[in-house]
Amino acid sequence: MIVYNISQLTKVYGTRTILDIPLLEIEKGLIYALLGPNGAGKTTLLNILGFLESPSTGNILFRSHPVRFSETFLQPLRKSVVMVEQHPILFTTTVQKNLEFGLKIRRIPTKERNQIVKESLDLVGMRNFAQAQAHRLSGGETQRVAIARAVAANPEVLLCDEPTSSVDPENQVAIINILRQINDLKKITVIFTTHDRSQVTSLAHHSLFLDHGKLVGSPSENFYGSNKS
Amino acid sequence: MDLLIDSFLSALLLVTSLDPEIVSIVGVSLKVSGTSTILASLIGVPFGFLVAFESFPGKRLLITCLNTLLALPTVVIGLFVYAFISRRGILGPLDLLYTQKAMVIGQTILILPVVATFTIAAISRIDERYRKTAMTLGANRMQTAFVVFREARFGIVAAVIAAFGRVIAEVGISMMLGGNARGFTRTMTTAMALEYDKGQFSLAVALGIILLGLSFGMNLLFHFFQGRARA
Repeated sequence: MIVYNISQLTKVYGTRTILDIPLLEIEKGLIYALLGPNGAGKTTLLNILGFLESPSTGNILFRSHPVRFSETFLQPLRKSVVMVEQHPILFTTTVQKNLEFGLKIRRIPTKERNQIVKESLDLVGMRNFAQAQAHRLSGGETQRVAIARAVAANPEVLLCDEPTSSVDPENQVAIINILRQINDLKKITVIFTTHDRSQVTSLAHHSLFLDHGKLVGSPSENFYGSNKS
Repeated sequence: MDLLIDSFLSALLLVTSLDPEIVSIVGVSLKVSGTSTILASLIGVPFGFLVAFESFPGKRLLITCLNTLLALPTVVIGLFVYAFISRRGILGPLDLLYTQKAMVIGQTILILPVVATFTIAAISRIDERYRKTAMTLGANRMQTAFVVFREARFGIVAAVIAAFGRVIAEVGISMMLGGNARGFTRTMTTAMALEYDKGQFSLAVALGIILLGLSFGMNLLFHFFQGRARA
């Protein structure tokens, strides 16, 4: 099943075209790596896929339904797609309450909520941190809690903007494993941006290479892109 | 020097013995300033929040105007409100002049820009990622606004405390709109001005000590909340 079907998408800031994608399809339940140099438009594309930013032109079908970029239409869609930023920020409260945020919005009952929080923290190896103050966590721990917070909301698609760029090697391995598990166990479609080609090899089913806002065939795309399919 | 020491000692005696006149004056001050702070907060905090949270044409001009209003002299506000509530004014029939209500109106106008601008500053300092995070987790506009408000809570409390500190120490509005009537509209600052005119410093110094103590307490609270806001 195709989760995103994008056609003739552009994003323009002033006179500069940030994104120009004639066609892109994202399949449900797979992991996609989005590669490209800084300024290639990776984060902008993630923002558009996360319904946080509107394209200048073009059409997006999400689960075969056309997306209208108005706030009233986008807000319910965001319940299906959660984005974890490159430098995620946690609300200044406990880890538990951070994870509960998305669940309260989805009106999940308290008992069920506690169970989901436990499971999500287990998934990222942070169960003992439930009552910790979120702003006292290290960079790697913050990244893991942010992923757990996103997963707790049970999205169909998880978008991660350079999830390992600001963490130590140990946490990088842990985060890659967490993303793989999320995809394996929960069948969540994962789209992540990265500069690290080894992560593409070990994690992604498909790789997409962006250069100056255009999807291009990377020299290594065939080699990396087909290793999981 | 003797005058100062004598006044200070008599003042301490008045404060420690809880002199009924001092208690009455402090009571009026706290009641009027407390009420105007609550009113200004009820209007200024949501207004400041909306200005900071929303994008609209003329936003920067509005903030500049609010910042300008911070420097509004109390006597100008006194005159302005007087024009409305004096017998010949539009609100003359309400008979508000020389009442605590008139003082509350004037003081509310005085600190409304303080509450609003400090709230705008507190909200503007909040990292844009909080808004984006709330949105991506499925929050609607109201829920996102609540997240931002919650993150700015210490800064907003500091805004309210700063406003109270400003209003408890003002004299122009209280004198012009309250009239310094003993037991009714006599506040710490107007009483101090009167006692100074009479050349009797004991009560003035005693009230000065209390006012300084209150200001010190307010500043301690202000810095506590500012510190929490930056933490």
